[in-house]
Amino acid sequence: MSMVKLVNIKKSFGTLEVLKGIDLEIEKGEVVCVIGPSGSGKSTMLRCINNLEQITEGEIHIEDTLVVKRANNKDVEKGNSDLRNDLGMVFQNFNLFPHLTVLDNITIAPRVVKNADKTAIDQKAMNLLKMVGLVDKANEYPIRLSGGQQQRVAIARALAMDPQIMLFDEPTSALDPELVGEVLDTIKALAQEGMTMIIVTHEISFARDLADRVIFMDDGVICEEGPPEDVILNPKEERTQNFLNRIN
Amino acid sequence: MINQIQMRAIFDGSVLTIKVAFVALFFGLIFGTLIALGRMSKNKVIKSFSWFYVWFFRGTPLLLQLFIIFYAYPIIRIEMTGSGVEMNPMLSAYLAFSLNCAAYSAEIIRAAIESIDHGQMEAAKALGMNYRQAMTRIIIPQTYKRLMAPIGNELIMLIKDTSLVSTIALFDLLRTVKTMASATGDWVYYIYAAVIYLFLTTIFQIVFDKLEVRFGVYEER
Repeated sequence: MSMVKLVNIKKSFGTLEVLKGIDLEIEKGEVVCVIGPSGSGKSTMLRCINNLEQITEGEIHIEDTLVVKRANNKDVEKGNSDLRNDLGMVFQNFNLFPHLTVLDNITIAPRVVKNADKTAIDQKAMNLLKMVGLVDKANEYPIRLSGGQQQRVAIARALAMDPQIMLFDEPTSALDPELVGEVLDTIKALAQEGMTMIIVTHEISFARDLADRVIFMDDGVICEEGPPEDVILNPKEERTQNFLNRIN
Repeated sequence: MINQIQMRAIFDGSVLTIKVAFVALFFGLIFGTLIALGRMSKNKVIKSFSWFYVWFFRGTPLLLQLFIIFYAYPIIRIEMTGSGVEMNPMLSAYLAFSLNCAAYSAEIIRAAIESIDHGQMEAAKALGMNYRQAMTRIIIPQTYKRLMAPIGNELIMLIKDTSLVSTIALFDLLRTVKTMASATGDWVYYIYAAVIYLFLTTIFQIVFDKLEVRFGVYEER
């Protein structure tokens, strides 16, 4: 089953065209890492899938069902936008809710959106905290946590809504170097459980080790894609080669 | 010095002052929140109405608003419908002060909401919350701490501005002592009033300082 399918996605901010026609299909259980220089549209693509940005043109399908189809910045066909609830998102800056404890950060969306039973969702949250190794922080406020711990809570928070697909927007870019590893390990564990994931990242070695497929984006288009052995180790496109040379 | 009847009158005047200030703050905050959300709305009609509301009630004197409600409205009504209405002075005071407080509160609340990091709304939406859920559960609770200082300010202003109700046949604290001072030729009554105003504002200042700490407890490392 195709979990996410993008057809000719375009996105402009005013006169600036950030995405210039993206086609992408992601299968169930696939881990896709998106790399590329700053401003190439990686994050925008992710945010478009989640409707944090509205696409100017194109189609988005989730789980083989049309979610939205637009042209000239207007809806052409109304799809089933409820499917967006199957997407979980992790942000570069964590965006934990500072006024809520770690436990409440994880349980608030299930409680508010799904009317989840308090005892059941608390139990589930504790299990998720166990998974990310932060059971002892359940009653702390986010400010008392390190960046790496905050990001692990953010991952647990997204998982509490039972997403079918996880989107990671540069999950380690705001972290001190010594904290990157713990977050990457958590993402790795998720991949091993078969979660479908799209990860925008600058961690090339992580992408090489984990990804089923690597996508190199530049200037609003997908420039090159394929298994990491090809895209990262033997890139064909000159732009990919230049990018990888620059960051190594 | 001061006899029991005078003491009673000063007490009643103080109670009236507190009542007007608190009723105004209560309804002003509720209505002000709606106006603040209206100011940020994408709906042009709601947005313009909210803008116009704030523009009018901040741009004209509170005393004028009080006069319009208490003196002008009955006349307008007679001219329009032919039937008169006598305005209750207390109700008029509540209404004018609440409407006025709402305009100031709206701007305070809007600024507080807009100061919350945009990522908070995005995170709430990414978790499936709608606008109302995100506002009431995520954004607005984070404004409480930031609101305490300016809302405390507003309450203290209200306490002092209640002296305006003396113009619509009400005896607030200041008018009560003024009457006593005129009647006896003794200025000490003004000192009593000053002490009571300071006493009240001191309490509210302390309470709001405490609330600010309490609402900000999650910001302590």
